[in-house]
Amino acid sequence: MNDAARNDRLWRWLTLAPALAILTVLTLLPVIELLAMSVHEIAWRDGQSHWRFIGAANYAALAGDQLFVAGVANTLVFAVAGVVAQMALGFFLALFTSHVVRGQGFYRLVFLLPILIPGIVIGAIWKLMYNPDFGIINQALGLVGLEPHDWLGEPSLALASVIAVDTWHWTPFCFLLLLAGLESLPRDVYEAVRVDGASAWQELIHVTLPMMLPTIAVTLVFRLIVAFKVFDEVYLLTGGGPGTSTEVISFSIYRRFFTEDRAGYGSALSLTVLFTLTAAIVLAVTAVQRRQMRP
Amino acid sequence: MISRRDATAMLLTLGLPATAWADKQAPISIVINQSPWFAGFAKLVDFYQKQTGNKVSLDVNPFAGTIEKQRSSVRAREGLFDLLPMNSAYLAEFYYGGFMTPLNEIDPAFKLDPQIIAYDNTSWWDEAKKANSPATGKLFGVPINGNVPVLYYREDLYTAKGLKVPETWDELMANAKALHHPPQIYGMVLRAARSASDISYDWMPYLHSYNGAIFRDEKAGDFTVVLNSAEGKAALDEYLALTKAVAPPNPGSFGQVQVIQQLLTGKAAHAINVIAAWSQMDDPTKSAVVDKINVALLPHAPGGKPAPTLGHFIGGIPKNIPIERKKAALAFLAWFQTYDSQVKYAEFGSPPVRKDVLENLMSKDRKYRFMRALLDSAPYARMMHTIPEGAQINAVLELRLNQAVIGEQTPVSALNLAASEIHSIVEKAGYKTAQLPDLK
Repeated sequence: MNDAARNDRLWRWLTLAPALAILTVLTLLPVIELLAMSVHEIAWRDGQSHWRFIGAANYAALAGDQLFVAGVANTLVFAVAGVVAQMALGFFLALFTSHVVRGQGFYRLVFLLPILIPGIVIGAIWKLMYNPDFGIINQALGLVGLEPHDWLGEPSLALASVIAVDTWHWTPFCFLLLLAGLESLPRDVYEAVRVDGASAWQELIHVTLPMMLPTIAVTLVFRLIVAFKVFDEVYLLTGGGPGTSTEVISFSIYRRFFTEDRAGYGSALSLTVLFTLTAAIVLAVTAVQRRQMRP
Repeated sequence: MISRRDATAMLLTLGLPATAWADKQAPISIVINQSPWFAGFAKLVDFYQKQTGNKVSLDVNPFAGTIEKQRSSVRAREGLFDLLPMNSAYLAEFYYGGFMTPLNEIDPAFKLDPQIIAYDNTSWWDEAKKANSPATGKLFGVPINGNVPVLYYREDLYTAKGLKVPETWDELMANAKALHHPPQIYGMVLRAARSASDISYDWMPYLHSYNGAIFRDEKAGDFTVVLNSAEGKAALDEYLALTKAVAPPNPGSFGQVQVIQQLLTGKAAHAINVIAAWSQMDDPTKSAVVDKINVALLPHAPGGKPAPTLGHFIGGIPKNIPIERKKAALAFLAWFQTYDSQVKYAEFGSPPVRKDVLENLMSKDRKYRFMRALLDSAPYARMMHTIPEGAQINAVLELRLNQAVIGEQTPVSALNLAASEIHSIVEKAGYKTAQLPDLK
């Protein structure tokens, strides 16, 4: 290796070092700490923590934990249903906004508003709107002669109601990314298909969607990651109930770790979710990349 | 800032002895939850600061956030907070964990005023026997809130209908049916939601009044799980009957906030809720039923006794803070437990913890009419559980009882499941335990 190559390599390491140090301190060390806690039972006596090694017992207990199982199932439903709805709505709004001639700025602002509102305010607003006695939703239903519902209190409706709030909150995120993607598509392709006499529908299916696939994939992955971590909306609206109808995995971890003070078991739950999600994301991204590389 | 001399003079003027709190103390910090009794406590703290010149800062959080901050503080090398209002649900965690300072280690002469209500002797802790015992244990705290559940009822409707305050659950059911006119007014609103502590706390008085329990004899160290007994089944049936016959739709989603809301908006003819919620009932800015509600000792099962479950708070001082902060925190507690401070506490809207204050004030003003129920409840008040695994036990009860309310489990399967899961918890923790055969 000559001097120039050695210097180049040293420089690369030097410039990477701060990022690596931050990553180690903020991510790697907490994960190692979680790993250590997850194979111990931690108790407090005489003001000191006492760690008892229990191997994989915390991990073995996961399958029998009804809250964990319900949390996984509800989180999957929540993430898939919510993100699909948000992507579809976001795409529709982005298409609409990119095609309007006048007032584009106004539509952008209006469609983006929900994402600017803090989660705690969203919880309060929607809790009032869903209120079975005086909420605006039941009042509106009453005006058209429909029966009122306890949107957050009926086990069959509670999860769907939370998904609706999440959709309202996060559709602007999808809208923003997809609109940016739409506006960056090359105009000459559209001009060519129009010359060939393609209808608007054909243009959408055969031109826009294939070209938007990378943007859609990135938006989908971002949203799925955030959707799998949902906590605030559930915490504020239903607290995971009634029963386990809105129990989600982040909330199960919170209960086990903090409310019940089971640091070992809570760590095992956290790591299981972390690694499962990471594996799923890596697989999904790899699949998209392979598809893009196909001739 | 009030000087030490001014503060002492002020105290002498008020006829109070110039004791520890009159001395200049180090500033202290209290981590506290924003419960219904908090507003009165905050006003009392302001009053203390004005009267003594001593500084007290309050770190105010939701209930769940408070316990997390308390845990973090007592487990740190040096604690952030000097006075911890420990809720009954988590009290054992602090005692078993060895986090708190016996108050007589700070001041050997300090005594809990005999007029302070004992609340199942939870201010004392015997570290060797792992029991609350004034005889053999050390004094670890002063009760700062005496929360117990009481029966809230619409006195105006009782008068109109000529009803008598119920003494048994059956009488409560009959009265609730008489006043049940949905959707304008519901006979009874129950706190049957699943959270850290809603339905488990709400149901416990039913269980105990039927002579049921979670464990056979917790105080004697027998942790045999007897939840799924015939008594447990009768208590759950009684509770479920109320949710079906006289409660609003979907009772499984009603937590403490919703119960208070239903009372304040005049939609609940009865509710069982903590006494601390009382301060809002006569507040015209919050209540549509000012002067229309009264409270009474809880009903009981036939042949049983009322069994209000303690939801109180003991003010304790952690080990891991410097001695001058411990002394300052104890000075506050010494001041807090005096007669005059407790009268102020009542005036500020929080239930006092002294018997003599309750006895003297309750007949003086109609606004203090809640004090009779509080005083009547004191001899019957008992802990839900006294082991540090309490939070885990609550989580099991919250889920299974809530599932019984919303129909996801039958009462029998809910009790069997809860018993089995609680047995696993105590067995794993090493307690002497066993299980009853499953209920059929």
